[in-house]
Amino acid sequence: MKSHYRAARRRFVCLSALLVAGAALAAGRALAADAAPQPQDVRAVDQDVQTLKKQLVDLNRDLFKLEEELLYPASTQVAVFLAVDVGTFFALDSVQIKVDNKEVANYLYTDREVQALHRGGVQKLYLGNLKAGEHELVAFFTGKGPHDRDYRRGTSLKFEKAVGAKYLELRISDRVAALQPEFVVRQWE
Amino acid sequence: MTLARSHPWLVLALAAACIVGPCDAGAQDAVSVAAPPATIRDLDYGDVLFHFFQDDYFESIVRLEVARDFGRIPHHEAEAELLSGGLYLSLGLHAEATRIFEGLLGTPVPQSVSDRAFFYLARIHYQRGYLDKAWRDLQRIRGALPGQLEPERRLLAANVLMAEGRFAEASAQLQNWSDQSSWAQYARFNLGVALVRSGATAPGRVLLDAVGNEPAVSEEQMSLRDRANLALGFASLQQHDTDGAVAALNRVRLDGPFTNRALLGLGWAEADAKRPERALVPWLELRNRRLVDSAVQESFLAVPYAYAQLASNGQAAQQYQLAVQAYAAEAGRIDESIAAIRRGGFLDAVLEAVPRTNDVGWFWQLQKIPDAPHTRYLYRLMASHEFQEGLKNYRDLRIMRRNVERWRDSLAAFDDMIAARERAAAEREPHKQQVLASTDLGAFEQREAELKRRAAAIESARDVVALATSEEAQHWQALERVEVAVQALPEGPQRDGLEERAGVLRGTLLWQLDAQYKVRARKLDKGLQDTSAALVEAQRRVGEVVQAGDLAPRNTAGFAERVQELVARVDQIAPRVDAATAAQERVLAQLAVNELEAEKRRLASYATQAQFALASLYDGAVARGAQ
Repeated sequence: MKSHYRAARRRFVCLSALLVAGAALAAGRALAADAAPQPQDVRAVDQDVQTLKKQLVDLNRDLFKLEEELLYPASTQVAVFLAVDVGTFFALDSVQIKVDNKEVANYLYTDREVQALHRGGVQKLYLGNLKAGEHELVAFFTGKGPHDRDYRRGTSLKFEKAVGAKYLELRISDRVAALQPEFVVRQWE
Repeated sequence: MTLARSHPWLVLALAAACIVGPCDAGAQDAVSVAAPPATIRDLDYGDVLFHFFQDDYFESIVRLEVARDFGRIPHHEAEAELLSGGLYLSLGLHAEATRIFEGLLGTPVPQSVSDRAFFYLARIHYQRGYLDKAWRDLQRIRGALPGQLEPERRLLAANVLMAEGRFAEASAQLQNWSDQSSWAQYARFNLGVALVRSGATAPGRVLLDAVGNEPAVSEEQMSLRDRANLALGFASLQQHDTDGAVAALNRVRLDGPFTNRALLGLGWAEADAKRPERALVPWLELRNRRLVDSAVQESFLAVPYAYAQLASNGQAAQQYQLAVQAYAAEAGRIDESIAAIRRGGFLDAVLEAVPRTNDVGWFWQLQKIPDAPHTRYLYRLMASHEFQEGLKNYRDLRIMRRNVERWRDSLAAFDDMIAARERAAAEREPHKQQVLASTDLGAFEQREAELKRRAAAIESARDVVALATSEEAQHWQALERVEVAVQALPEGPQRDGLEERAGVLRGTLLWQLDAQYKVRARKLDKGLQDTSAALVEAQRRVGEVVQAGDLAPRNTAGFAERVQELVARVDQIAPRVDAATAAQERVLAQLAVNELEAEKRRLASYATQAQFALASLYDGAVARGAQ
């Protein structure tokens, strides 16, 4: 039985040493795992995939540009963005946009999208075409207002569409003094 | 990795590493790189961030490239460049990311941007094993980094120092690090482990003990604490400090990812303290768990060992036989898994078992381990850095393949649209030509020139009569006729009287015309200006119509050419994506098979040990019987 015990002990020492070594790697932000050499074929495939991904990004970029130039030329383009500034008094559920009394967008938000807006992201909510001249945009915001009550508010803007692309921004912010949300729409030059 | 494959423990430890390690670091990386500016000055940059903050890195980088090409983010150029580096890094494009960060540092940028660029370069260099470059980059950071990047920078600096064996300097870094963030805890843990590995066990254990006793709330904190206690427990065992080992291992949670290893270590600690009956408690608990875990496999040998130590040779023999059977059954299941993987499609099964999101990214992580028969052992693989990267590539390629197909459909629609526009333009052409033919702008231009000449003559001669109203003109003409008639009369008092009266009438009429002249001249001038403007507008419109007619075929042809070029690129890239996907699958399948075969060898080794121990027990029994 002595030899069995010794074998077990040897195994134990080996295990503990390896575990400690492994545990160092376990921190993740750690010592040697990233520097470990990879098999040649893994590296080659990874290299190919990297090249391919870059080409796919470039291809998508060119496709996006073509799509926009073809479908939304600058002379008629109108883009509507949505931004949230603080937004303590309003939890956004959906936004409806009407241009010249015609509904052009009706968007229901996921939690992830709302979080992205709160972190400083700005959503390109609508991209369309309008003739030069005067138009009216009306936006309706639906969600939960102060005291978790259902809340629906609208805001509107009359604007002049000229030859160049038109950018409009819908912004949800806090009117701290009134403890109410505020909804505004403004034009970008 | 050779060492890792030679022993299950290291693989397990690596597996644990990847569950919370690089993924967390990556997530922090991604968030910090795009610290949003206080004010969005270009809406399109906000749109890029909107997708970025949803971890949709592919969409984000494409929108960023498009916005930059259209010149829509002039106010965030440096930030956008830094973000693009981070996004390419997120997509696993290290070379591209490095090129961007280095390029950024070659241009005048705000310090806040250059500091972050240096940080990311340092991290890439560290991950690539270029420790001297990583250290040089870190030294070039001049200010505190924003948010979570600052503690991460300190951890990175400590890691670089540790990797270079400069433990004293790493310790010094930590001593000045007073905050209790998880980054600081990771640094302490890493240093503790590094010290133990370097032979400085005592200070290493002190650090591990500190991390192992930290209050923990989040899963990440609890996991790190478990890890520290596990490492401390085994380090203590190496030092034959069984009480210390038991104390540390008992602090590991009973339902965490390190429980099995802690239970095994706890048994060894008790066995080491010559308390085999107490060693049986954790080992028997362990043996009832899933056999895919190496610690559980080990327990099938440990349990009979403890019985043997208690001189319960009958039970020991029975348990060894059970171990041999269990190992054989598990080896059979491994053969089934290998056969399933070799049949192909195993990655689809893996991906089916993980959450479906559409983001393509470096930080995409497996949230749960699939337990289908043919993926029974793959949790270790999927938790390894190498396998995860390959799997992410595979998944990214699949998403991109669908993306390419969607664009193929769109391109077909664009083609139809351009053809429809060309048809519509052709249909409008005859009507347009008819309108243009009936519009004689030249005649209008001649008439305008004549009017201008006449107006100039009137103005220079102050020809008040020329601006008379029609009634006044009739009066003037009548007066002229009267004067001619008077001149025809014989001289005498009657003719003189008529001449005088005609003279008075002429004077009166001229006076009236002169009084109105200025107003009428201004009116004429204004009228001529309006005529000129109207003519210019008409010329412009006709010009536009003509030009539109000239350009329409050329514009649609321009779009048509672009569509054709992009269709060709889509056609060319789609099979390459398929080939890369297949190659990636082959590599991952081979990695999986290699791992499973290594696992099988380990089980064979365990079975041999069990059989050897069984034989020893029988030999001992025979020897005792002979006595």
